[in-house]
Amino acid sequence: MAAQLPPKVLEAVKEAFSKVDWEGFDRGRVEKAIGEILGKIDSVQLHYLEDCVGCAACAPACPYYVVGEEYGPVEKAEHARHIYRKEATILGMLLGPLLNARKPSKPEHLDMLVELVYRCTNCGACYLSCPFGIDSGAIIKGLLAPLVSKAGRIPVLMAVFEAVERYRVFMEIPALRQIWQDVMSKAEQALGKPLPYEQEGADYYLMVTLADAMFYPGAVIGAMRILDRAGLKWTLSREPLAFRPPIGAVVGFGDSAREVLGFVNEAIEKLRPKNVVLLDGGFVYPWMRFQLPKVLGRKPSYRVLHVTELVAQLLREGRLKLRQADDPVTWHDPCQLGRRAGVTKEPVEALRAASKGFRLLPHHGAESYCCGGGGGIGCLSMQMIEMMSKLLGVDPKMMLSGEKEKEFILKTQEAWSIAVKRKIDDIKKSGAKTVVTACPVCLHSIEGGAKLYGLDIRVVHFAEYIAERLA
Amino acid sequence: MVEPLGGQPTDIYSFAVYYFFWVALAIFAFGAVYRIAKLLLRWRHVVKAEPRRRGAGSAIVGLIRTFLDPVIFSAKTKPYDFLAGLVALHLLGVIPLIFLLAHHVAFFAYWFPPYRLVAKWGLWIPLSMTTSALEITSPIYPASTSFTNTVWGPLVVVLNGDLLALLAILGVAFKIGMKVLEQAHGLQHVRWSDYFSLGLLLFILVTGYAAARHHPPVGSETVDVATYRTLLGLHILGAEVLLAITPFSKFWHFVFGYWYGKLHEWYDVRLQKGLV
Repeated sequence: MAAQLPPKVLEAVKEAFSKVDWEGFDRGRVEKAIGEILGKIDSVQLHYLEDCVGCAACAPACPYYVVGEEYGPVEKAEHARHIYRKEATILGMLLGPLLNARKPSKPEHLDMLVELVYRCTNCGACYLSCPFGIDSGAIIKGLLAPLVSKAGRIPVLMAVFEAVERYRVFMEIPALRQIWQDVMSKAEQALGKPLPYEQEGADYYLMVTLADAMFYPGAVIGAMRILDRAGLKWTLSREPLAFRPPIGAVVGFGDSAREVLGFVNEAIEKLRPKNVVLLDGGFVYPWMRFQLPKVLGRKPSYRVLHVTELVAQLLREGRLKLRQADDPVTWHDPCQLGRRAGVTKEPVEALRAASKGFRLLPHHGAESYCCGGGGGIGCLSMQMIEMMSKLLGVDPKMMLSGEKEKEFILKTQEAWSIAVKRKIDDIKKSGAKTVVTACPVCLHSIEGGAKLYGLDIRVVHFAEYIAERLA
Repeated sequence: MVEPLGGQPTDIYSFAVYYFFWVALAIFAFGAVYRIAKLLLRWRHVVKAEPRRRGAGSAIVGLIRTFLDPVIFSAKTKPYDFLAGLVALHLLGVIPLIFLLAHHVAFFAYWFPPYRLVAKWGLWIPLSMTTSALEITSPIYPASTSFTNTVWGPLVVVLNGDLLALLAILGVAFKIGMKVLEQAHGLQHVRWSDYFSLGLLLFILVTGYAAARHHPPVGSETVDVATYRTLLGLHILGAEVLLAITPFSKFWHFVFGYWYGKLHEWYDVRLQKGLV
């Protein structure tokens, strides 16, 4: 492996590997992690921890509850409460198990916790179904995920990509550079002119990440055609600012997330755009739209919007026209874009304009069923490991720390295959032949689920679908 | 009516009403301040993103949905738990019992005179659906079979202490049963304190019911005052223990947790993020 990777990439990968420990229990690391996490709890997280009455009304909302009742939101989150009570409450410290207060003390405890972390997509369905407004996803991903990751139970694949993104060395990987250049070259051909790179003061900055280029190149090109057709003054960066920022958020590395968002923002603000348009409707959107000011300590100098919001706006203003077809199409609300960030009306508005055959899924908008792939779960498959290893130019065995991690990934894959069925059934009921969405994980999850359950549908990114219908 | 502190309590009733009441109130007050102070001390100022403005109409609908959606979801997905836990235990059980039962209204109005409005408007509910007399102890049978005369009219068939207490007791019993089953399944969200809280609630309901019905001592058919005072005293003492532990237990939800939780969710999801 050493001979294949560029030196800076190798440095990032080595750092990633140094964090991984799927076998042991390092008490020092665990205690340090617990201290860091509990020290940062704010009022809202305190409410989430303390105001749960254990009614389990949230359970049926969770995509993983159907995989096992031990994966219900309150079940998963309760482990964080055990630790909170033991570490941060007087009675919990004194009475321990009598008050259900305990801390992890063995490798098996960490194994159990990491499994729970990767049975949560942070979809927010539990938040909306809780009578007390408790966001269990915020506890599981905000408290348990950093604990297990810092204690060493972090999938190698995720550790590597988090480091590669934070070190900003992703473009030094030849295969990834090639993917980017191919997409940009095809985009120029589609537009019939050079792309407006690095222009200052543009109205719209199209933030194309490396993950966008990898997972839906058609959508990247489609978005550029939309911006061009609408006659907008737009720009983009010559190279991607990040892989899929911030990957650190997925594994609970808050500091990494802040660092990555910091340099992404710096690069954008240098160009002084008025608006930043995102293609990714996964966690990238709520992080850029809502978390960025918290991270920066000030509001950014630009508005952040998703491409679905932009298209709906352009259609309303008459600046974009579509050839309305009548294909049976539906919209899958990515949880991060929809339930978590409020963008549910705009995609529907745009797709209704695109097709007379548009229909809503039985569970849509705030009630949309999660595809089951979020929270890093979609990355945890042998297929993804092989693909990413190939891109990095390394042996797939290097992307697994051992048999234990491999078993964990296979078990996660199996759990996902059960969780996704609810979504596929909902799509079947709608009669749609095309599912439009806007998150790479949702695309991958729904495509995979459709194949698994024998549903013949096309799954396509919103920008690609709309661009196909430009008048 | 209140004996000054320093007098000797003669039984459970006088201990509960004249002494432990103040202890419970003090513990509750301390606990409430502690709980809220903890929350305030953890508050961090953060720079917020521009909210997604959907307009006043969406905000109002959002507020209603924030409160209502979990109820509807629960009714659809866990109907038995919904009927026992929310409807029987809360909506028909403890909420009308605590706040509208005539005996409680009289007690609250003593300490908080504005509460007399509940009585003035006739909103209070009687113990029995057919009579306001102490029918169990009295040899006089109900003079008529018409309903007790309250502003609730025929609704008094349901809105009476007898039935509501029974519904609440059934609801609590169901919840205790569910907890036992769930714990047997190895589920983590069942806490030892749940049994204490539910057990205490059941104790309060059963002693209240028995006191209100003037149950005679075991083996006798004649009610005596001492038994009544003991039952009522235990009921009041149980309620005072509940009051005292409220800030330190799941009961905090009805004072603060539920309201704060829902309002925060409304702000975060419907106002800030603009989910419609």
